[in-house]
Amino acid sequence: MEVLKRAIMQQSGPPETFALQMVQEVINPPPKQTKLAQDENQFLENVLRLLLQEFVSASGEKIMQFGQSIDESESETTQGHIPRLLDITLYLCEKEHIEGGMIFQLLEDLTEMSTMENCKDVFGYIESKQDILGKRELFARGKLVMLRTCNQLLRRLSKANDVVFCGRILMFLARFFPLSERSALNIKGVFNTTNVTKYEKEPLEGICIDFNFYQTFWGLQEYFSSPTSVNHAPAKWKKFASSLSVVLNTFEAQPLSDEEGDANNLEEEAVNFSIKYLTSSKLMGLELKDPSFRRHVLVQCLILFDYLKAPGKNDTDLPSEIIKEEITLCEERVKKLLQLTPPKGREFLGKIEHILEREKNWVWWKRDGCLPYERQPIEKKTVQGDKKRRPRWRLGNKELSQLWKWADQNPNALTDPHRVQTPSIMEYWKPLAEDMDPSAGIEAEYHHKNKRVYCWKGLRLAARQDLEGFSKFTDLGIEGVVPLELLPPDVRSKYQAKPNDRGKRSKKEETKASAHQVEENQIATPANEIDGEDVKTDTTATPMEFDAATVIGTQGGPTPDELQKQSSDTDIGPEAGQLEADAEVEAGIIDGETDADVD
Amino acid sequence: MCGDATNWDEHGYKDSILKDRDFQTRTVFRTAWAPSLNPNPDTLLVASSDGSIASYSISSCISNLNTHSGLFNTSNDRLLAQAQPSCFIQGHDGPTYDLKFYGDGEDALLLSCGDDGRIRGWRWKELTGSNCSVSSHGNDMKPILDLVNPQHRGPWGALSPIPENNAIAVNTQEGSIFAASGDSCAYCWDLETGKVKMVFKGHSDYLHCIVARNSSNQIITGSEDGTARIWDCKSGKSVQVIDPGKDFKLEGSVSWVGCVALDASESWLACSSGRNISLWNLPASECISRISTQATVQDMLFENNQILAVGADPLLNRFDMNGVILSQIQCAPPSAFSISLYPTGVVAVGGYGCCVDVISQFGSHMCTFHCQCV
Repeated sequence: MEVLKRAIMQQSGPPETFALQMVQEVINPPPKQTKLAQDENQFLENVLRLLLQEFVSASGEKIMQFGQSIDESESETTQGHIPRLLDITLYLCEKEHIEGGMIFQLLEDLTEMSTMENCKDVFGYIESKQDILGKRELFARGKLVMLRTCNQLLRRLSKANDVVFCGRILMFLARFFPLSERSALNIKGVFNTTNVTKYEKEPLEGICIDFNFYQTFWGLQEYFSSPTSVNHAPAKWKKFASSLSVVLNTFEAQPLSDEEGDANNLEEEAVNFSIKYLTSSKLMGLELKDPSFRRHVLVQCLILFDYLKAPGKNDTDLPSEIIKEEITLCEERVKKLLQLTPPKGREFLGKIEHILEREKNWVWWKRDGCLPYERQPIEKKTVQGDKKRRPRWRLGNKELSQLWKWADQNPNALTDPHRVQTPSIMEYWKPLAEDMDPSAGIEAEYHHKNKRVYCWKGLRLAARQDLEGFSKFTDLGIEGVVPLELLPPDVRSKYQAKPNDRGKRSKKEETKASAHQVEENQIATPANEIDGEDVKTDTTATPMEFDAATVIGTQGGPTPDELQKQSSDTDIGPEAGQLEADAEVEAGIIDGETDADVD
Repeated sequence: MCGDATNWDEHGYKDSILKDRDFQTRTVFRTAWAPSLNPNPDTLLVASSDGSIASYSISSCISNLNTHSGLFNTSNDRLLAQAQPSCFIQGHDGPTYDLKFYGDGEDALLLSCGDDGRIRGWRWKELTGSNCSVSSHGNDMKPILDLVNPQHRGPWGALSPIPENNAIAVNTQEGSIFAASGDSCAYCWDLETGKVKMVFKGHSDYLHCIVARNSSNQIITGSEDGTARIWDCKSGKSVQVIDPGKDFKLEGSVSWVGCVALDASESWLACSSGRNISLWNLPASECISRISTQATVQDMLFENNQILAVGADPLLNRFDMNGVILSQIQCAPPSAFSISLYPTGVVAVGGYGCCVDVISQFGSHMCTFHCQCV
């Protein structure tokens, strides 16, 4: 013991440096392993407890500071003897050199030996070492001792005056024990009926007061403190309900103004906070005008209603349907009143509802037998799955972005034999040519020449691939553009302007049709460059070039910029100078075009 | 035995129906608190449409009602308990319209007026001392004061009917009683001599209400013609005509001044006009604010800087001086004709159905009862 004492009083520096060595000095004969045997543990514990006792009895009023160096220069680093002792023990326990429960034993001894004032310091020490004490190995050894210590402390504290310290202890317990720890649970659901709100039974002389109301009002507290009675006897519920409606009527008749709500802000409330109601009849009139008082009472009502509506252990405990309805009605009234009570009634009600909702979960948990519900952290994959956010589109929306990515995803799109291509002139005009055969007898309504979109597309094709045919448009109309080869002989003569030109033209046609794709891709780039557009656009847009305009058109309301882009993508004809004109035509006609087929 | 009509008592049945109807339509026109030094109100006087004046002890009402129903009644409860009056006198033939105490303490006089055009006075001390119950019909109590309104003389000596008295006010320093009368005049009676001291003529229709502004020796009357007038008692001349309905009249609504109220400093006047209340500052003779209510205002008074008003709906409204509603308390009478305030803040509301509702300063109902019928 002397060795220990000396070590604590004289050694300085962190406990790691000398603690183990010290233990080996104390135990005789020195143990071979760093872990102590049982009897050695017992011996050490006794020594430590004795030492602690000696320190406490030697110290004056402030035990945690006892032995602290008075020298100011050192005061920052030095500790009192007792914290030092505790530190060393804690270190040994943590490293499992000695039995883990020892530190808890010491702490219990210490709190039992100290005054309440000192307990606050001791508890401060406990709080500061919370992380180490809460480690799994130590916690398993000492949780019961810790619980006992805390409960002893709570019992010694005054519930009315030491609210803050009580709260500290409870907070510590809540953090120290797992959430589903049920040792503090009121398993049977017993109510604290000793918490009686006393009020005057006889009217005071010399003041004016509605004594019946006073009694009714405070009589409600009886039901709040023991709600089981309301649940089981309908007569009691009736009485409670009528009392409550009297009180609610009174509240409702006198709404509180915002001024009254502003009058007491939160800081003042904290000063005046008291865990019991002041029930003097002289205060009744003031209390009825106090928003926070009103809130307290109304929240009590809500808690009671929640209790009444909560399912009991068996279904027979449930209130009858009629009572249930009445409860719902009352609850609505109370909530409405809370909402109207300034300041910030609506927000306040929201918070209260949230808290009560949480409370309901606990009720269910308890009803299901207090199963532990801590879950292992979920694997990362699912976490990411949960985090799935609404995707952000680089180009504003899904379709545009898909268009953008299309080329990357389909590297062989250009060589795909099935890709949608610009049809050749010959193929394109076939339907119209067939319709022009009078023997087919097509009605005007179904005649292809009357389909504006078809004609317009055809004209654009012709302008690009068959200028000669295109030029006939001015003289002969749309039917003149159709290649003569397609027409039946009798019709052909009608549109044959210069028969000797025909041979040349058809030859040209053939070469163009075959070289069409290559030509287009080659020309596309310079066309875009001339236009000052981003070069990238055409690489992705080219596979779709023919229908790009219609696809984008379906998005509804393309901006002028987009139109510009479309025009550069789609009009890849050799006439760069015409681009402007084309774009204008497109802009004008684009709405009409949307009903055309979209791939 | 069903359907056996041999013992059918037709008269009894008629009487019971008439009595029932009479009971249902009976109305409390005025409630008044007896002067007392006790902070708790003890006696409430009730004047009702059957001409009776009855006093009720509040404490016994409360205890009776409690033993009666276990809990005191809420305002919506139609089955109100009947209270037993502690004193009962048949004050007037026809309805009694107003009650006032003249003086206070030992030698207070209880003044009443009614449809028969009389003002009667009783010694309050004698009334409380004597044991006058309902059974004696209150006829054994003789009033010590009995004033009758003068009849108007027409051509050829024809006499008009005696005009009724709708309201009274008193000035104890001058020894005067002011009566608001049905012949559109207000009368000033001398209490000692029992003579009319002054007649205030000027209104064009009958008077509803009257208050005395004793600090400046004036009275204020409200009339069916839609105006209120301030009169100088010395000269008997109208000092000022207040037309609270001036703005409302433009909208085409008819209004009358049903009640007027003065605050304690006698510098604020509240003046009802149909469904509206206008608040006037008398020194500045200016209308400060207007309050619109849901129903016709039938009585009001000042409590500190607040206005309490009742009317044709079962609500006791409390306004501040700017006309903001501070509270609305449900009260028992479906239409309330009278409101009276005890100095400690207890309010009695009386009205249709012979209901009286006593409301504490908390806004809770201290007791609610039906008046006993004769």
